[in-house]
Amino acid sequence: MKKLYFLLLLAFASTAFAGDIVGTIKAKGARNAGNAVVYLDKIEGKTFSAPKKHATMDQKNLSFVPHVLPLLAGTTVDFVNSDDVLHNVFSPDKCADKFNLGTWPKGQSRSYTFKNAGCRPVILCNVHPEMEAYVVVLSNPYFAVSKKDGTFAIKNVPAGKYTLKIWHEKLKGKPVQITVSAAGKVTQDFVIHR
Amino acid sequence: MKSNGHLLKINIPIIVAMLALFLVSLAVKKASAIPAFARKYKTSCITCHYAFPKLNAFGKAFHNNGYRYPGGQDAEMIKEEPVSLGSDAYKRVWPNAIWPTDIAGTAPFSVQAVGRVLYFKSDKMTSFEVPHEFELFYGGTFDSKISYFGEVELEHESELGYTFNVQYDFNPGLHLKFGSVGLEHATPEGLRLTVAHYNITNLRNQSGTWRIRSGGGGGMEIWGAMNGAGGKGGFTYALGIANGQHDEENYDINKSKDLYARATYKIGGLGEAGGTAGQASATSAFYIDNSVRLGGFVYSGKATKGSLEDKFSVLGADVDWWLNRLNIVGTLLTMQSDYMGIERKSLAYFAEANYVLYPWLIAYTRYEFTDVNKDDDVAAMTSIIPAMIIMLRANVKCSLEYNLPLDTASKGGGGLTYQFNIAF
Repeated sequence: MKKLYFLLLLAFASTAFAGDIVGTIKAKGARNAGNAVVYLDKIEGKTFSAPKKHATMDQKNLSFVPHVLPLLAGTTVDFVNSDDVLHNVFSPDKCADKFNLGTWPKGQSRSYTFKNAGCRPVILCNVHPEMEAYVVVLSNPYFAVSKKDGTFAIKNVPAGKYTLKIWHEKLKGKPVQITVSAAGKVTQDFVIHR
Repeated sequence: MKSNGHLLKINIPIIVAMLALFLVSLAVKKASAIPAFARKYKTSCITCHYAFPKLNAFGKAFHNNGYRYPGGQDAEMIKEEPVSLGSDAYKRVWPNAIWPTDIAGTAPFSVQAVGRVLYFKSDKMTSFEVPHEFELFYGGTFDSKISYFGEVELEHESELGYTFNVQYDFNPGLHLKFGSVGLEHATPEGLRLTVAHYNITNLRNQSGTWRIRSGGGGGMEIWGAMNGAGGKGGFTYALGIANGQHDEENYDINKSKDLYARATYKIGGLGEAGGTAGQASATSAFYIDNSVRLGGFVYSGKATKGSLEDKFSVLGADVDWWLNRLNIVGTLLTMQSDYMGIERKSLAYFAEANYVLYPWLIAYTRYEFTDVNKDDDVAAMTSIIPAMIIMLRANVKCSLEYNLPLDTASKGGGGLTYQFNIAF
């Protein structure tokens, strides 16, 4: 029972001393400001274990869904084929072992675990070259993907000073130093361009 | 291969006659996917093509579904919103209303431009044949039951050819086609990667009035495709009746109709009607479909030249073997032609190998053998055609091929051809 109280207290404390990072991205040189990943750079002295629950990337109507998938290093992704056509999943990037999962029937999935933080492998289908997606492998669980209108929100960030970074498949933005207070919201906008 | 130098020596009536014959023979039938489909589904050419116009396994399944995605998934795959010509509910009002359908959201047209650079060995002459050909393709579907495909082809300044067919697609196993039909789809002719036509499609009957390349002209065909056990491979068939020999206006030349049949059985690989059941594999690529397809075909017709009748028939068998990056195709054909009291038996075959060095670079070689008359002493014509096919883009292709005659009578002929094709 004491253990349960302790865990509840810990959970409460971690929520109580955490804030949100919100903002809007302006994208110059892209149709919209969606699919940018805003994330905290490596937090020194802290390690995070990967979630046991697998992430999912679907292949539906000849598209990867989602187009950009940020995740914590060590997370396993299930690649699902929802089309009644053969798909493939591979990455030409070394940091993802240049994996190639072959092909599989509709409704089934094959998995790959992304181990290396900092890796940004492109995900391709060698049967449909127009299909493309990205996995953004990160060292902590504090990240968000922007919506088409450029808005993003990273929830429950522990109080502290951080470097906030942004990644986009085509555009670039500068990292910023940010201080998250024990409670409340920090607003940080980005401009990204070629 | 023709030589401009030789053409100049031929008189005008012969040129006119040759042109007329050419027009009659232009019943080209290309059951390929086209850029209009790429736009419709927002997908790359290589979804359907090994290297255009040669189809890969999915392209064949797409064709076998009446130019639709397999498994009833077509509607959700279409990224280009179709235009409704009547809401679905009008089906309940029929016969007091026209049955509803839809058409493509944008014009279903595609263009292919072809240019060539030729080197004629006999004349030691190089010629820029640019443009060589301009083709306008159109194809698509009306709702889930009707599909169409056709082509208008303008080659040089005066050679015009056109085909069109429309079909009712009951299901992948049963289509009823009306329009330009024939046996050409029993050969890779309409989907060939080389400039050189296949010898088996050029072999004429004795009166010179028919060859496979001529097509069957206007007619009707029932055809279909079914998956084999476990969703792999499967069966295809086609039964057709056609004008056969026809004039420039597509009218039948004689009272008789030509008949033909075609059947194939594919072992392994993607199902003929598509789908993904049983298709798990550690490797995949748009050009891989480990399988063997065995086929047979027969054509029987009567052609007329003047008041004389040429009764002919064709019997053939073919194999299409895919093993990882290698594809080997072979077709053997026998022809019997009964004309002016003489029965002539012909034998022709070819074997070709395609090897994918890179997805954009294909090494190709074909050997051809043609014995026009098996009973005479004239040696058979043989040739070898090595080529390299280069896909600069998914829709831009160039090829370099050498046509090397091997038989004594043809030696010294042939030549080198560079061709580029742009499709959009």
